[in-house]
Amino acid sequence: MSEEQRELLFDLLTKKAVYGLDETEQQQLDGFDRVLVTDEFQSLEMTASAISLAGLETEEPLPAHLFSKIAADAQSYVGENAADETKILETNRVYGRDEIFADRPSRSWFAWLGWTAAAMACIALAVNIGITRFQKNVEVAQERPPVEIPKILTTAELRDQLLSSTTDTIKAAWTLGNVKEFTQVVGDIVWSDEKQTGYVTLRGLPVNDTTKETYQLWIFDKTQDPATPIDGGTFDIKSGGEVVIPVNAKLKAKGPQMFAITIEKPGGVVVSKRGKIAALAKVETPAG
Amino acid sequence: MTQAILQRIANGDGSAVQDCLTKYGGLVWSIARKMLRNSDEAEDAVQEIFVDIWKNAGRFDESRSSETTFIAMIARRRLIDKIRYATRRISADSLDDVLLEPFTRSDKDMQVGLEAEQAAEAMRNLRPEQQQVLRLSIIQGMSHQEISEATGMPLGTVKTHARRGILAVREFLGLGGSRISQEVPA
Repeated sequence: MSEEQRELLFDLLTKKAVYGLDETEQQQLDGFDRVLVTDEFQSLEMTASAISLAGLETEEPLPAHLFSKIAADAQSYVGENAADETKILETNRVYGRDEIFADRPSRSWFAWLGWTAAAMACIALAVNIGITRFQKNVEVAQERPPVEIPKILTTAELRDQLLSSTTDTIKAAWTLGNVKEFTQVVGDIVWSDEKQTGYVTLRGLPVNDTTKETYQLWIFDKTQDPATPIDGGTFDIKSGGEVVIPVNAKLKAKGPQMFAITIEKPGGVVVSKRGKIAALAKVETPAG
Repeated sequence: MTQAILQRIANGDGSAVQDCLTKYGGLVWSIARKMLRNSDEAEDAVQEIFVDIWKNAGRFDESRSSETTFIAMIARRRLIDKIRYATRRISADSLDDVLLEPFTRSDKDMQVGLEAEQAAEAMRNLRPEQQQVLRLSIIQGMSHQEISEATGMPLGTVKTHARRGILAVREFLGLGGSRISQEVPA
């Protein structure tokens, strides 16, 4: 990709993250690689969101009538009344209308008074909307059909997308390193030289105390002296179960032969002493 | 370890709805009020944002961002979409302040998440012009053209500052992106 193309790509991605794109600009963006665009866009969008949060000077409370209305409407999406197309329940537990907040800790009398006031405010608002805004809302709805907000991909979905869209992706399985206490580390790492993107999948790596240590990924590339592998970024394990973590290579990798995860001080290190190797993954077969 | 509110919502835990509104309602409302200004529009938007949050709760990945940033991202997506169909309004009386003030947050007690704190620090480390362009575009909602007119910078320079600034903040936050982004001259 030429420098001009890269600048255009990042101008478009920055604009999309900050303002959104018009049709022509979106078509321009569609001309770039889909995997690259998705990955880059989500991280820029998160960055823009973090900046906007940093710029919030004060936080206003959500108006009580709005709180009540949103909570009531939520039953269409969370709970037994959830619409089929949006149902996201993964457990077998069923919540009824009266039960939805039933397992909350007992509330103070003032809290219930607040709910009553909120309900009254809701009724007043509904009447007001009915009188003053109903016609306007109908007109708005006719002018502008609902727009589908693009789906937010999870890291696991980004990994799948990488695997399905590239032919050069390599895959290596994690094996145990030299930390005797770690006996159950399994998973793999996928990497594409073309996209310079990869994902680590892990199960069994213990939760780390972030005040004392962090995990750090290393890429042993054929272009690199084995004494100084490429820093693949640091990460923390916050809970059990499977995690998928994006590789954050600090240099371009052009043929990784092995990957390693070491335990380092918080923030990571430039050169690892390799005292604690949590896991190793040797590249043997192309991904499939 | 305590399960994130969004994970509880994704698991169908109805009580998490109220927890989510209690914890993030004010934040979403404040973002909407900041970006839309008009109260009626903000009320409609906030309801749509929370529907998006219920639908996307299962997509929250704590290894990629904090819950606060994820919710802010969903809110901004919806708000950007709404703004594209409406006239953008900037509070003219605040513009001079925005152009001059250093990057600090006035409400120190507000919980905006680790990434936001780091983003504030990253912003303070940017070149003043980059900081100014990001502040005016992302926080104040001004278009690049409006920033160009307000500051006297050529439009191309505004775009360059926006691109380099946001990439520098992303790098500081360690939010990744592929190697190709690091090849863009900073």
